Amino acid sequence: MKATDPLISELASIVGSEHVITDPTSLSVYECDGATVFKALPDVVVFPTTAQEISAIVKVANKYNVPFVARGAGTGLSGGMLTVNGGIIIALNRMNRILEIDLANQQAVVEPGVVNLWLTQAVQDDGYYYAPDPSSQQACSIGGNIAENSGGPHTLKYGVTSNHVLGLEVVLTDGEIVEFGGTVEETPGYDIRGVMIGSEGTFGIVTKAVVRLLRKPEGYQTLLGVFETIDDASNVVTSIIAKGIIPAALEMMDHFVIKAVEEAFHWGFPLDAGAVLIVELDGIKAGMQQQAEQITEIFNANNCRETRYAKDEADRQQIWKSRKSAFGSFGRLAPNYITQDGVVPRTQLPKVLRRIAEISEKYDIPIANVFHAGDGNIHPIVLFDERDPDQCERVEAVNMEILRACAEAGGTITGEHGIGVEKMDYMPLIFSPEDLAVMTTVKEIFNPSGLCNPGKIFPTAESYAKLGL
Amino acid sequence: MSNPNQLHRDLAQIVGEAGLLPDDQLNRYAIDDVVPKVVALPASTHEVQEVMSYAADSGLSVIPAGNGTKLGVGNPPAQVDLILSTSRLDQVLEYEPADLTVTVEAGIRLAMLQERLAEHGQYLSLDPPYANRCTIGGMTATNASGPSRLRYGSTRDLVLGMRVIQSSGTVVKSGGKVVKNVAGYDLNKLYLGSFGTLGIITEVSLKLQPLPEVERTVLLAFTEIAEAIHVASEIAGSQLLPIFLNLFVNGAPLTEVSEPCLMIGLDGPPETVEWQIDTLNTMVQQNASIGVQLYDGQQQQELRKAMRAFPEDQSTSPIVVCRANLRMTDVESFINTALAVDKSATWRMRAMGLIGNGVVYITFSHFPDDDLPVQHVTDTITSLREAAINVGGNLIIESGPTPLKREIDVWGSVGPSFQLMKAIKTKLDPIGLLNAGRFVGGI
Repeated sequence: MKATDPLISELASIVGSEHVITDPTSLSVYECDGATVFKALPDVVVFPTTAQEISAIVKVANKYNVPFVARGAGTGLSGGMLTVNGGIIIALNRMNRILEIDLANQQAVVEPGVVNLWLTQAVQDDGYYYAPDPSSQQACSIGGNIAENSGGPHTLKYGVTSNHVLGLEVVLTDGEIVEFGGTVEETPGYDIRGVMIGSEGTFGIVTKAVVRLLRKPEGYQTLLGVFETIDDASNVVTSIIAKGIIPAALEMMDHFVIKAVEEAFHWGFPLDAGAVLIVELDGIKAGMQQQAEQITEIFNANNCRETRYAKDEADRQQIWKSRKSAFGSFGRLAPNYITQDGVVPRTQLPKVLRRIAEISEKYDIPIANVFHAGDGNIHPIVLFDERDPDQCERVEAVNMEILRACAEAGGTITGEHGIGVEKMDYMPLIFSPEDLAVMTTVKEIFNPSGLCNPGKIFPTAESYAKLGL
Repeated sequence: MSNPNQLHRDLAQIVGEAGLLPDDQLNRYAIDDVVPKVVALPASTHEVQEVMSYAADSGLSVIPAGNGTKLGVGNPPAQVDLILSTSRLDQVLEYEPADLTVTVEAGIRLAMLQERLAEHGQYLSLDPPYANRCTIGGMTATNASGPSRLRYGSTRDLVLGMRVIQSSGTVVKSGGKVVKNVAGYDLNKLYLGSFGTLGIITEVSLKLQPLPEVERTVLLAFTEIAEAIHVASEIAGSQLLPIFLNLFVNGAPLTEVSEPCLMIGLDGPPETVEWQIDTLNTMVQQNASIGVQLYDGQQQQELRKAMRAFPEDQSTSPIVVCRANLRMTDVESFINTALAVDKSATWRMRAMGLIGNGVVYITFSHFPDDDLPVQHVTDTITSLREAAINVGGNLIIESGPTPLKREIDVWGSVGPSFQLMKAIKTKLDPIGLLNAGRFVGGI
């Protein structure tokens, strides 16, 4: 059901008419997230500032039987915030305050619209930081991170968002405001906080979060290795882990990405290299040099052409900037791209990457790779032109084959981006109808009307047909 | 279903005689003095399903168990029909060391798994009491942890996926086998710490760690608790990365120390550990420590083992064990509250505080002539629980005598989120087959 005039005036009376958008031009900003190939126009966007306002909005949505979706910064990569059948977008941009910083207890209380990096910036002078660091951390919101259970390069050592959230205040789908977890590590009963994290905005709207802050490591050692082939670099990844070293981050870029990044930013990467690995150690300085030497040895044993060490913090930031800005440079490679997010066991990386190269060749669709190698979390970037229907068809086949390869290697179809609308069709690759039935049951408990972020996560009858199941 | 012989015969048809605990051992599985009618130990997933469907058809309640080390946690059961132990499902299913992950059957004992992993220089970084007895499935169902949760978290943080048999007998999977996975809802979190109320865990995939090159334990004794906590918070805010940071009050395990003391675990490459010991020494010189002791080798292994076992240490015969979850900064006043209560009593209170996690274990022992003053203990725990709740924490009774547990809810109140918890239980176990009535709010 579409938003109607009485509904809009009720929303305006909650947040003020200046915080309601209904004109089509302004609405179009809210028609997609970072997965720009998926678009759907909302009927109305509202900008509340309190949990009470959100509760009132949700009650109005229920009264008029209109779908509602929360939106953070819109940097998601799976279309998780799309209003697939129209409805209300509850934009959390104005709820962007850091409410409390409690360094003695190494935690902070934030509103959902707080930008990920702001929190680190607020505490870094005191020697603390917020660990989950998605590549979009300069823009993405912590509320969005919670909805997607976001990761980032440093999850290898520090875990994903779920490992860093202690408590949540949530507006449930009927408008009730409830807290789960709290300021302590455990609370009795089922871990609803844990189930809420990564539920992709389908269980309610987070209005406040208690998150952990970590002590900034005493030192870092960042190495960058240039390799002839992806295989060599993949073997390095496996060898480092097998050696008993868990770096803070272990990232890989293939020749496509190196080229794009180099052309955009001129970091001085060799254009003919097969792969670049970024390995970062962090923690206590004593002993770190020895580990760096071990890693250098592993590099050399795998035909490393060149090893660079970050000389200082500025140098280190440069290396990370090149990695995290990689996505910004893909515009140079093709008009459109889709970022895949499969995960495979680390030992399967070489095999799966070879398979992806074959798929690329088979469909004549270029695929670039930049990813969290240490976690086995790959990000094949499928490059295409959406104006070419034939390419679009091939891209769909490419997506399916890549995710099938990940599933067959014992992995999963998304490590940090979420299912959203993008990967609904592929859920049967990893979950049986019985597994999905439990998820449906749980969804019906939290979201019985189905009005909260509908049309996400669950495969349809068509999905099964598409997969030949 | 009143005939125990019939019950025994029916179940023997499913699991064989070898899959039934002999009657003379049933007492070992008694929960709050209620002896189970039967303990079944199925040897396959299929047998678990068969036992479940038999129980459902016969109107029997089922209490899932691993090796039974945490079976007593929960409110006293109205009846105990069938305990279903997964301890015979004890195989390592998949282990590729270079992946740093493992998939095991739920009944494997932690020590057995650690042995297998150690062959490849790896381990599961969880250290609950009694590794030689507790099972991975049990640890998952109870979200077990030990002192090293400071660095590595609790079971919650290390489980990647699991296979669960629902009360309907259907086998379902949650999560996966890789270290990052956000496909669908994170239902692992539902089963973790659900104490067997939502399903029987038969298979678990876990994240591993490389074994540390060097392990050292430092013991620091203080004249005052306040000093010990001051040093502990200084450590927590420093560049040191201890794997545990435990405060002991009224006696530390395996030592003669009766003063408040800190036990600090330092694991890692030799240079890193060495630097941390030096830094600690400097810190201590500036503070009022009355003794420093460094442990390694066999002595350290024994000390760490005793430390892990603290909450269940039988040598001090604790009669009541509580666990409070607090913020780090509330630990001191909480322990002082507990000590104030202790002074007015004739029994002995001991505490282990996992300072960096804000977790405090309190044990009570040495009751006069072992005659438990139920009302007095109930009042004491109630006031301690209030002290925890007043600062945003909570207090759980991990073990205690049945008369006490009949007086006081072991979990305490869970507040407004209970409605959702209740709905989850009702939907996932609609026939109320699993561990009925013993979890929060009578779930």
